[in-house]
Amino acid sequence: MKNLFSEFKNFRPKRREIPLDNIITSKEKVMQTLIKSYNKLVEQEAKELVWLVSYHSVIRAYASAEKSIKNMEYGVEDIEEFLFEIEDSSKLPYPIMGLSGIYTAALCNHAKEREIVFDLRNRNITLHLLGYRLPEGKKLLVYGDLGDFTGIGLNGGEIWVEGNTGNWTGAGMKRGKMVIKKNVGRRTGEDMVGGEIYVEGKILGIGNIRYGRVYEKGEIVSL
Amino acid sequence: MKNSLKNIYDFISDHLYFYRPDLEISGEKYNSTLLFSLLTAILQGKQLIVGEPGLGKTTSAEYICSVFYQIPLGTIWLSEIAGHPEQTEEKIVGRPNLGLLNKGIESVVWSNFVQLPVKIVDEINRLPETKQSIILDGVDRGNWEYLNEMFINDEYCLFATANYQDLGTFTIIAPMLDRFDVMVESKHPGANISYLIGPFYKKDELLRHERYEKELNKLLNSRLPYKTKMERTEKVCEKFGKYLKKKGLKPVSKEERKAIQDQMEKLELDLDANAYLRTLISELSFCYKYGQKRANEKCEEGCHFTGYLCHSIKNCISNRFPISIRVYAQALAWLLGEKQVNIEHIKTVAPYALSHRLQWKEEFVATHEKEVRVDPLPIYLAKVAVDRVLERYGEQRESIKEALAIGYSVSQGEEIALLEGDHPIYWEIKRDLGEL
Amino acid sequence: MKKIPKSTWLKIRKKHFFPPLPFPKIEKGQEKAALEIKNKQISIDEDFLSQISEKMPESDAIEALLDHATAHYTFCPWDFANYLRLYAEAKKVCNDKDMAKKSTDYFMDVVVDTYCVKEKQSTIPSLYKHMEKGKIDQVICALYQKIWGKDLNVSGSDELVKKLMRLPYINKKRWTEVIKRFTHILRPLLEEEMLKSASNPLGDHKSMFSKESIDKGLMELAQSAASPKAFSELVDDFKEELEETGYLGQGIGRGRGQETMANILYYIKLAQNYTLPLKKLPERKSGSIYPHSHSPWEIERPYYDIDIWTSFGKFLPGLTQVWNRKEGEILYLEEKVPNCLIIIDSSGSMIDPRKNLSYAVLGAACACEAYLKYGSEIAVYNFSDAEVGGRYLLPFTKDRMAIYQSLCKYFGGGTYLKSSDIKAFEGNDMDIFLITDMKISNFSEVVNYFNDIKNRVTAVHIGKSTHSKRFALSVSKKTNISLYHVEKKEDIPKIVLGKVKEYLHQMF
Repeated sequence: MKNLFSEFKNFRPKRREIPLDNIITSKEKVMQTLIKSYNKLVEQEAKELVWLVSYHSVIRAYASAEKSIKNMEYGVEDIEEFLFEIEDSSKLPYPIMGLSGIYTAALCNHAKEREIVFDLRNRNITLHLLGYRLPEGKKLLVYGDLGDFTGIGLNGGEIWVEGNTGNWTGAGMKRGKMVIKKNVGRRTGEDMVGGEIYVEGKILGIGNIRYGRVYEKGEIVSL
Repeated sequence: MKNSLKNIYDFISDHLYFYRPDLEISGEKYNSTLLFSLLTAILQGKQLIVGEPGLGKTTSAEYICSVFYQIPLGTIWLSEIAGHPEQTEEKIVGRPNLGLLNKGIESVVWSNFVQLPVKIVDEINRLPETKQSIILDGVDRGNWEYLNEMFINDEYCLFATANYQDLGTFTIIAPMLDRFDVMVESKHPGANISYLIGPFYKKDELLRHERYEKELNKLLNSRLPYKTKMERTEKVCEKFGKYLKKKGLKPVSKEERKAIQDQMEKLELDLDANAYLRTLISELSFCYKYGQKRANEKCEEGCHFTGYLCHSIKNCISNRFPISIRVYAQALAWLLGEKQVNIEHIKTVAPYALSHRLQWKEEFVATHEKEVRVDPLPIYLAKVAVDRVLERYGEQRESIKEALAIGYSVSQGEEIALLEGDHPIYWEIKRDLGEL
Repeated sequence: MKKIPKSTWLKIRKKHFFPPLPFPKIEKGQEKAALEIKNKQISIDEDFLSQISEKMPESDAIEALLDHATAHYTFCPWDFANYLRLYAEAKKVCNDKDMAKKSTDYFMDVVVDTYCVKEKQSTIPSLYKHMEKGKIDQVICALYQKIWGKDLNVSGSDELVKKLMRLPYINKKRWTEVIKRFTHILRPLLEEEMLKSASNPLGDHKSMFSKESIDKGLMELAQSAASPKAFSELVDDFKEELEETGYLGQGIGRGRGQETMANILYYIKLAQNYTLPLKKLPERKSGSIYPHSHSPWEIERPYYDIDIWTSFGKFLPGLTQVWNRKEGEILYLEEKVPNCLIIIDSSGSMIDPRKNLSYAVLGAACACEAYLKYGSEIAVYNFSDAEVGGRYLLPFTKDRMAIYQSLCKYFGGGTYLKSSDIKAFEGNDMDIFLITDMKISNFSEVVNYFNDIKNRVTAVHIGKSTHSKRFALSVSKKTNISLYHVEKKEDIPKIVLGKVKEYLHQMF
């Protein structure tokens, strides 16, 4: 019987490539790695998809996150894209905002760039724990609102939020600077041991501040 | 020879059949009825012409056949079969020679319809279904049988006309419909062109010749052996052809017709046309769950292939479709002076070859029946379908061709992984190679 | 006036797989836009062409512009439905309709340009190199430099380009996701451009779509919209464009009524996606038979039907023909479709059609379309607590707008069906289409009423309840009542209008 496909015997596909193809391919690889390691973190830390914030769980989760992203090559754009992936439920069906925040914090802390800008306005995402242990020399600028525990354990870096933050902002921060352009929630600066928090809007409640300063609309409110 | 055909087309459109162009190919505008009639005549095909009464369905076929086969119009009129319920086999195929019958000898007098290469059935949908079956075999292979005698045409083409369904009409049976290569509509030419037809009411005279008509009639009614009869008929036709040359026509002789057919047959499809045609056929025949499309089997709800044509049709496309589309596309490409058949030719011919062969699901019809169009609904739906498949093909053409190339390598024994894809064509390749 | 060379257009057509577009033109007066696409007709601005021809070959410029325009039809957005989907995603990011439209326009341009450069070996890069550019165009060109690998004589905007170049523009399946990111990244520049009212040098895409394309697009949008509200919002955003194409013609006013119109449009378009089969009333036969056609005579067949003329006076099997007789038809009484009274429940237990998809309104709309298609008239009885005035009656009419307005009314009160209201319609030869969740307070009265009537009734109950079971039981022996159950959109096509149960006849 005649070969059914004989007319295509000599066909060789012409795949015209443009630089966009390589950019997308390499970017997809990085994203796959990031998502894979995030999923692994969720598997390890979240029991039945529930993760409760506590002093120890945060430390543990951060350590796991650091371990998983060690030796990974990525940039700020990859982190931004990861934040988009969190929003898209088809890629990440069970995003846990707390763990996402910790993971993002680990990524930011270990990124090559010194200044990191996120635009979270009109986004379907509320990140908690962003800015955890941000080290000195790093600046994190966020447009939009953040969730709870923003900048906890700040370790010398700068966090600027052009929006609101939730409760426990700057809790346990050691040193560094936080500027929140709008309002913050309760227990602000709880257990902070250094650094400064500038709030240009309202503070719903001050936490138990050991050392460091909290300013509300330019006036110091911490004792 | 191309010029002869173009000359025939131009002559008929200038003097005999007035229309608006409704088809554009390679930047040139044509009328679909006239163009496909010309191609049907060259290819010895079978064409169904539909349309409202009085819009030139029968006359367009008569003119093309008269000019192309060099047969006077009067002879063609005598050979036409009219579709009405009282039609009998004796009027269509042949009758016993009554004189000889009374002597106890069986001898058949074949009808002009059977003897001439030109076969026109007017209002075929007015023939009862039993009568449609009678001419089925003759129409399909050129074989006619009556009283155990057989008549075989060596050259013929069929034109059938049909009005739209009304109280006096039947359905054209499905096996009969499938045997038509193409279906076209003879459209209204518009008010201004229609007005012009008035003064041309005697235009039929251009293709008539009393003397040759009498000669042909005498020949056809004679008791000469078929071969001799046809040779002498051809001679009379050639004389008529010379008469037509004086009118400015360049008719085509039997030898030239044969030569044109040979040339057309040699035209190859380019790879894109080839792959696109396979893609189209796969969407019209594939069923993931039941192996193939069947009219009595319903699609599963939530089937993965909902976005393809197989979900919008009820029946499976027949194997006559690829034959029809291929020969007509080759003919069209030849006429346009192309060296290969390309996607444009396939895309132009496909809706006309498909429209009468598909049974659409109601949802598909409901989605499109209210859209603005110039074609009747079946042809319009076929055009929509062909365009959709072309869009899908355009997105994945390199992959599809690559899949087919890999199919070749695998069937030669190479161990390569077959290309995966959503489209039915990828699944069909796997099935052909025994992988599914 | 210049003309586009035929060979150029044939080349473009071949490249793009022969799209059904008319021959393009070169015209004056496009208001600085190089290109206009109106109802599939592509027009190139003569002045623009003259200007650009000073810097690059004219044929290349024409080719580039035609590639760009043609790809808008063959690739992105392809049709109005896709355009609306892209716009809807862009709007989620910027919340401003004009900004969302601009972002959609830019996005579509990037997609088609990249597609043409990659797949069609286009001369578009050369066009952008020599074209005058605004601020966003500079950024886009800088992006093109990166993703195409071509020098377009622009520099700067590195930060933005770094983000933009990561987006998979040619991946159709991801457009809805990609346009969100695209809009997000470009938003600051878009905000700036809105203040300056700058325009796209390649023209906007407002008038690209014909009325038919918009019609089809709205049908698809109605199918995929999350709710009537989401649909209405989009339609409102395109009110001007829809009015320009004459789509939202008479009957669509301004002010308070506008929102209702969009809702009605939603159900009209959604109903057009479905066809409900409709059983016609059978035609009447005359009762007399007459000779109709021939068939061969066989020995056992009676001789009195023989046609001696077609049999040549012979009684021979294989030669002799008999007449087949057929019952005549009374020509003036064809199969007909009666009028239909739609009884729709809009009590509190039913969904509010303005807020969410109401299966009751959709089912009634589909029935309405089926009857209107055959030229029948529709009357509507929309009821809630009819006893206290919660009802609306529309007499028989073919006015689609009036019918839909009646169907979409929502009372949201109690449920009381006053059979005396329906009796007002009796005497008409009509079918009845009833759609309700059967939670009717005077349920027994309603059941008794339906048990007595002779009209064909198609009853549809929404959701499950003991009432629906009771109704089914009580009308089970009635051959003129068919009952259907709808729980989701997919159940609607299963309704057969006017179906009459035949099992009782079969018993005898």
